[in-house]
Amino acid sequence: MRIFENLNVDFIAKKKTAYIISTTLFIIGLVSLFVNGLQLGIDFKGGTEVALQFEKPINIGDVRDYLIKAGIGNTEVKTFGGETGVLVRTDMQEIPAVVFSRVLIPIEDEIRKGFPEVTFRRVDSTSASVTYEFPMPEVTNEVTTYLESKGFQSGRVSQEAENLQMIVRVGITDWIEEIIREKLPDNSFSFLKEDNVGPKIGQELKRDAIIAVLLALLVILIYLGFRFKFIFALGAVLALFHDVFITLGMFALLHKFIPWLNLEISVNVVAAFLTLVGYSINDTVIVFDRIREYLKIHKTAELKDNINRGINRTMSRTIITSGTTMLVVAVLLIFGGDVLRSFAFALTFGILIGTYSSIFVASTFVYEYATKYKKKIQF
Amino acid sequence: MKEFRFRIIIVALSVLFGLYLLYPTFADYNNNRNIADQLAAYKDSVKQASPAISDDELGKLVIIKEELIKEADPSIAKDREKRVKLGLDLQGGMYLVMEVNTAKLIERVAKDPDKAFKDYLAQAEQESKRSELNVVNILAEKLKQNGIRLNRYFGTIRQEEAEIIAELEEQEKDAVSRAIEIIRNRVDQYGVSEPTIQKQGSRRIIVELPGIAREEEAKQLLQGRALLEFKLVKETEFTYPVMYRVDEVLARVLNPSDTVAVKDSTSEADTSAANLTDEEFAKKHPFFYLARPIEQSQYADAYVKESDKNKLMNYLNLPQVKDAIPDNVEFVLTAKAEIMGEGQKYHILYMVNKKPELTGGVIVDALANLDPSTGAPIVTMQMDTEGSRDWARITGANVGKRCAIVLDGLLYTAPVIRGKIPTGNSQIEGMADLNEAKLLEIVLKAGALPAPIDIIEERTVGPSLGQDSINAGVSSTLLALLLVTIFMIFYYKKAGTVADFALLFTIIFIMGILAGFQATLTLPGIAGMILTIGMAVDANVIIYERIREELSTGKTVKAAIESGFLNSYSAIFDSNITTFFTGIILYQFGSGPVQGFALTLMIGILASLFSALFITRLIFDMMASKGAKLNIG
Repeated sequence: MRIFENLNVDFIAKKKTAYIISTTLFIIGLVSLFVNGLQLGIDFKGGTEVALQFEKPINIGDVRDYLIKAGIGNTEVKTFGGETGVLVRTDMQEIPAVVFSRVLIPIEDEIRKGFPEVTFRRVDSTSASVTYEFPMPEVTNEVTTYLESKGFQSGRVSQEAENLQMIVRVGITDWIEEIIREKLPDNSFSFLKEDNVGPKIGQELKRDAIIAVLLALLVILIYLGFRFKFIFALGAVLALFHDVFITLGMFALLHKFIPWLNLEISVNVVAAFLTLVGYSINDTVIVFDRIREYLKIHKTAELKDNINRGINRTMSRTIITSGTTMLVVAVLLIFGGDVLRSFAFALTFGILIGTYSSIFVASTFVYEYATKYKKKIQF
Repeated sequence: MKEFRFRIIIVALSVLFGLYLLYPTFADYNNNRNIADQLAAYKDSVKQASPAISDDELGKLVIIKEELIKEADPSIAKDREKRVKLGLDLQGGMYLVMEVNTAKLIERVAKDPDKAFKDYLAQAEQESKRSELNVVNILAEKLKQNGIRLNRYFGTIRQEEAEIIAELEEQEKDAVSRAIEIIRNRVDQYGVSEPTIQKQGSRRIIVELPGIAREEEAKQLLQGRALLEFKLVKETEFTYPVMYRVDEVLARVLNPSDTVAVKDSTSEADTSAANLTDEEFAKKHPFFYLARPIEQSQYADAYVKESDKNKLMNYLNLPQVKDAIPDNVEFVLTAKAEIMGEGQKYHILYMVNKKPELTGGVIVDALANLDPSTGAPIVTMQMDTEGSRDWARITGANVGKRCAIVLDGLLYTAPVIRGKIPTGNSQIEGMADLNEAKLLEIVLKAGALPAPIDIIEERTVGPSLGQDSINAGVSSTLLALLLVTIFMIFYYKKAGTVADFALLFTIIFIMGILAGFQATLTLPGIAGMILTIGMAVDANVIIYERIREELSTGKTVKAAIESGFLNSYSAIFDSNITTFFTGIILYQFGSGPVQGFALTLMIGILASLFSALFITRLIFDMMASKGAKLNIG
């Protein structure tokens, strides 16, 4: 079986259509980026994310209400995995000062409940922990063990025998778990994952991601400029930029409407973008390689014909490879699980747009340049 | 066939090598299942024999049994060592990025900091979050602007600004080393398998704890101040009898039916046991089998192989054994294993007083140095007034005895007390080199100056999520493989089958290389593999399409294959090299899981190139030479 045997389409003549499609997608992307913006994951924004697995099915709306009422602002709650899994995300990295004392109430109540006659005092507190002092070392040990058994994260400040102080961690995740445990006492849960990213790390990851994508484009520009002609390299990199930008625009457009896709920009998605860069350049280079070959053989033929011939003769390969790759990323999109979904989406859409751009954008750019400046391209 | 012999041998060898590299992974998987089965059976049998046993005790017995099973078959550990390692996102565990809180550190070392100082410090801390400069430099700048000299708070009057800044930065570096030592120490004791603790930049520490899901426990590992203790080492006359008792009790606990062994060991205090085989000795003297005292030595220090360390600690934790050890003493192991004799690494087991003579809070400063007169590495330490007084009394009363320096329960060194030290200024000798001295300096300071550490990034994956991810990954991979395989056969017929073989080999190569390089497979890594499956057929597709074209120009099969491959090279190389570049960049800039992805992508490119250009070519050439009709759909 063969597809596209003796295909003979004048792709260069269709450049107007290509311009319209690309420009439209570009504008849609740009507008979406401005209006909707991107949903940055906690990798880049900093924040906290907890995934919990409950014993019984759970109502997402209720959980959201509990958390908001308790003072966790800007929370996002959604299902994770099945209907017993919940993912809570907030951009808070630590408990805000105004509610901090409220968070301590359950801890202190618990101590009073377990040890009614013990006196204790708060000696120190940071944004993520609180330290209590008790009159005797034995009491400190007992309270520490007791609180731990009640689900708090408590520890002795020092292992020294005469240690009087106990530290209790009150991070965001502990607070969230505390609230849910209190509201849903008969639906116990275990945690699936917990991520906590500080703002500084987020900044750094963002910087690294941008550098990585730009560096990739630069390296490709240099390598292709060396192997082909600079104008080919520029065309290829332009096509890549086109692909990355439009895919990014798609993330901006869809993240609000299709929550199932989980379209947020995480470190994994940046990896997907770089893969997309690698994949799309693969496609483009193979078309360019054929054009280069024809330019060498048919030195007298028109540039337009050589380009068209190159695209036509590589068309079946382009479609087959894109097809098999799309097939596997689609599998990943559907069966790969929650963690990989946005990754797979970036690739699925990216391969589609990458295939389009290596046919319609990269070569057209080379052609436009050569005709405009009346350059003769020779290898 | 003769002309192909060399190439066939290369292909066969590389496939065999790939399978050889992969075998441990397969074996490890089977071993784990076997061990789990055996332990379950053992648990049932113990429960049946003594129904009253507590969960805690049962757990301890099970751990010992597991060690015994693993020890009986050394290939288990070997396979485990060489398996494809799973990333934290697949096997569950904790990933932490920690940073020394320099602001807090500065506040702690400052001399009587006032309100103004604290304000400036807080401002400097805020600014450092957005700036490339560190807190020390920003603070120095701020103080300068406000006409305050740095030596108002730090150092001595005569010191230059730059010198003080350098000293503060040195303190910061010290704090990182201290924190790393404390963390490593605790992680080791806790028995986390294959932890990674590494320094990143000047003040960051990255800790990976695979398999730790109970977060509370992990936090306990990392939190809190380190405990430095000075404990007297017990005399030989005291230690030996205790060791014999432990040995006897242990033999009875481990072989409940075998009463002869017990009699034997009580009657004769002979540990050399020349007339016993190794196996018998292990059975009759389980303690001395693991912890061997040196016969001619004046001390009762016992040598413990590094591989036996956990086993010995498990034994010593058994309740019956604990009862056999007097209340006021305990066994401690050295923190660092030393290489002895035949290249084996040994820890040394000491018996020390349970009650410390002093704790680390009294140490003001410690410094590693070379002795000016002898050139030997030494550590000097300085104690505060109260500590000095106690220290004088302790050293005075125990001249000739050894005093162990113990951090968080692990012994670092046990120097002999030469004489009374009245000033609190002590000097410790006997380190092998300056590095060892430097380590002791860190340890001595660890008790005194807690390193203020902030956790700035934390990722924990529970084991069940990891397992789900593995399942989703494996089923996606298989499905993707199936779909691509079917398509290739459908579209390219016989040649498609050849491509499918190449694909299969590609996957064997990728996995084999991952195992061989000791690389880690992460969830994005699996995604990378799935993507490779889709892209791996690309080289084959390019070649096939080209051969079709060549055939349609009327060339013979052999010539079509020849020029089909030849004309595809430039396209295949150019496109794969550019993709490889992005892989390298991804590896450079990515963290953990993303690096795993980049690695599989790069290995995938190399493997699929080899499969397409070498294996496919070979099969085609062989088919053509046999005169078979080339069928590419």
